Amino acid sequence: MPDSSSELMQRAEITWSRREATHLLWRTGFGATTDDIQQAADEGLDRTLDRLLTPQPETEPYARADMLLKQSAIDSGNIADLKAWWLHRMLNSANPLIEKLTLLWHNHFATSNAKVNSVPLMAAQNDLLRRESFGNFRPLLAEMAKNGAMLMWLDSNSNRKRHPNENFARELLELFSLGVGNYSEKDIQEAARAFTGWHVRDGEFWFNEIQHDRSPKTVFGRTGSFDGGDVVKLCLEHAACPRFLAFKLLRQFVEPNPPVEHIAALANRIRQHDFAWRPVLRELFSSRLFFAAESKLSLIKSPVELLLGAMRALQAKPNFGAVARLLAELGQDVFEPPTVKGWDGGRLWISSTTLIQRANFATALLKSNQLGSLSFGRLQVENDVEWFVGLLLARDLEPETFAELRQFTNSQPGDAELRMRSLVQMIMQMPEFQLT
Amino acid sequence: MTSRREFMKQFGAASLVTFGVTPPTFLARAAAAAEASNNDGRILVLVQLAGGNDGLNTVVPNGRDEYYKARPGIAISRGEVLRLNDELGLHPAMTGFKSLFDDGWLSVVQGVGYPNPDRSHFRSMDIWQSARPEKEDVSSGWLGRALDSTADQHVGRVPALALGTDKLPLSLVASQINVPTVRDVKAYQLHLGPGSDAAVKTHRSTLDRLASRDAVAGSDLDFLRRTARTAWSSAERLKEITANYRPSVEYPGNGLGRKLRTVAEIVGSDLGTKIFFVNLDGFDTHSQQANTHYALLAELSSAVTAFLKDLKGHNLADRVLVATFSEFGRRVAENGSLGTDHGAAGPMFVASPRCKPGVIGRLPSLTDLDDGDLKFHTDFRSVYAALLDRWLGIESQKVLGQAFTPVDMI
Repeated sequence: MPDSSSELMQRAEITWSRREATHLLWRTGFGATTDDIQQAADEGLDRTLDRLLTPQPETEPYARADMLLKQSAIDSGNIADLKAWWLHRMLNSANPLIEKLTLLWHNHFATSNAKVNSVPLMAAQNDLLRRESFGNFRPLLAEMAKNGAMLMWLDSNSNRKRHPNENFARELLELFSLGVGNYSEKDIQEAARAFTGWHVRDGEFWFNEIQHDRSPKTVFGRTGSFDGGDVVKLCLEHAACPRFLAFKLLRQFVEPNPPVEHIAALANRIRQHDFAWRPVLRELFSSRLFFAAESKLSLIKSPVELLLGAMRALQAKPNFGAVARLLAELGQDVFEPPTVKGWDGGRLWISSTTLIQRANFATALLKSNQLGSLSFGRLQVENDVEWFVGLLLARDLEPETFAELRQFTNSQPGDAELRMRSLVQMIMQMPEFQLT
Repeated sequence: MTSRREFMKQFGAASLVTFGVTPPTFLARAAAAAEASNNDGRILVLVQLAGGNDGLNTVVPNGRDEYYKARPGIAISRGEVLRLNDELGLHPAMTGFKSLFDDGWLSVVQGVGYPNPDRSHFRSMDIWQSARPEKEDVSSGWLGRALDSTADQHVGRVPALALGTDKLPLSLVASQINVPTVRDVKAYQLHLGPGSDAAVKTHRSTLDRLASRDAVAGSDLDFLRRTARTAWSSAERLKEITANYRPSVEYPGNGLGRKLRTVAEIVGSDLGTKIFFVNLDGFDTHSQQANTHYALLAELSSAVTAFLKDLKGHNLADRVLVATFSEFGRRVAENGSLGTDHGAAGPMFVASPRCKPGVIGRLPSLTDLDDGDLKFHTDFRSVYAALLDRWLGIESQKVLGQAFTPVDMI
């Protein structure tokens, strides 16, 4: 690990290999096929990052499926269809990093259809998150304060001049921009007054002038007759904001418990680039911190990463509806996060119940058609134990573990393919498979 | 103390027959555990009321005019409250709790909170569950530390269970014990596929061996392997326990009722579980709270009452104590949307035939407020101290980091 914080964001000196490429692809996307890994290994880090950070054209069949899935979700008004649409994007898009970032911001601005109850509004919010995923946090935060789904989610219509409702103002400070400990209760009360009259009508932002409190407010020690837009700007100017975002990025892409020096180093880059994501991400994904030995295999896979990652690596053809339902059981019901705080992630993904379900997922994928189809015909494999361990675990194992896996494979009944399925099932049920 | 003989009698010869001629090893282990258990196998069931329960509309100060002034739109009228004493009554949805109170099975601890209350759900919940208000550190829960401090008693047992939740609650996060989280006993089963018995057996034993290798203590891999071992073994044990349970009363058809019924099954099985954690969510009543709050309190009251009566029917009630908590109470004055915003101090309930019944502690002033909220007079850790020292028999000072005078409720 680099010892000085100024060095953390410097370019990593690494020997580029399939192993390094696998690390990059799992972190920036949802799993990787053996061909994905080989392509990145051949291209090198710089060209791979060019490709990951530049929107790539989608294939014709993908674009058609994407459009049909979204249209049918809007037509049916069923959130399950919208979940299928997004999962299809995550698994099959030529731009997995955009989808990964969209998921990160969905978790940051965690909004649930359980209350919003509108597929078009949830889809529109998702599009906004996606639009700014390679863009900038400033417009994202400003527009989120006027986003239809968000306004419904945090009770904006009950925020009235005479009776301010603190719900949005509190979460803006606590969860969307600064984090606990960087503001006072008084700041929240005053900020709530600035957002009075920021209402929603027919799913659209509506400035309800008569309910807006024009009197002066004092937020973070600054006084003025602020409105919501002013408070958003004050949040963006607050020193805690880049730190809070750096923490979120590190937790998603690098390490489960980012120490303050790492946060400071990345926050510095976010400030330097004035919240523009592409240069920040490029530096992060080529940094010493990102490729440090301590960062590798240090994150517990989220349910989405676990399921889609396995399916992508094994080139499965999923039943997205069934996958979405299993994700909900595993605790990551996209479009329906449990609270405005989103998913905490890390070790909180894991309980004995979810670990049993994660193990059962491997069984369902390899030994049934419940979650979709999986053909081993496309995989050309010799030395299957080493090959699958390389593809799915991307780590060194003790010789005894290899021996254990080989012995297990040979003990299983059936033909070569069935034994291979048992082997993959076992690898996916190893605690190691939960890490990325 | 439950003797081995009593345990076998209680479990019943019939249930042994269904498992085959020889008792499964878990039965023998559980019997040994029952013999070894201390504190009469006392069990704590902690019910979390998530979202911030409106204490003033739960234990209603119907004797105070200030209450009616502060809540013109949502106050519970004097005629509706279920009388506790001259100035307090329960919300009308809580008929079960009223009967428990009249039977001397309920105590109400008033004015519970902590200094410098935090009105964020998440931070305040972390404070209640970690019992370390002064620290940001949330790496362990108060019950987790209690389990750690008695770790040697829990070998081969399942000392605590979180039921009906997906995530392990912070309260139960320990460093030496891995607490299973069971959302649904039926879904808590490991499926390995359609292979022959022999193939499945090999699979199962390979899984165990692969999860049993050493990893750096405290690392994520170590955590995952420990959780895997707990999961694989407890899934087998629970599967064997459930089927034959016959409740002695009918449970209400609500979520908490179903969870507590499962708790009763496991209490009856003597798996060695001392602590259960269940959650009832939805108390964040910012607007139009009357109907929502009514339904939640009805669920709480009916489910806990059925649970204790069921246990009474199985002669197990004396071993069980139910305690409720919430991350905060709500503001004294109602808001403009016929709801209430985040507040501070609130009441806690303790229900058990072994509690000291009645109302404990005075109602905090409704006019001398802390930024619009009730001032606490009883630190929540004094309640925890009573639960630890006087109920579970676990030294509270070690768990809480300092000495708190236990509330006289047990």
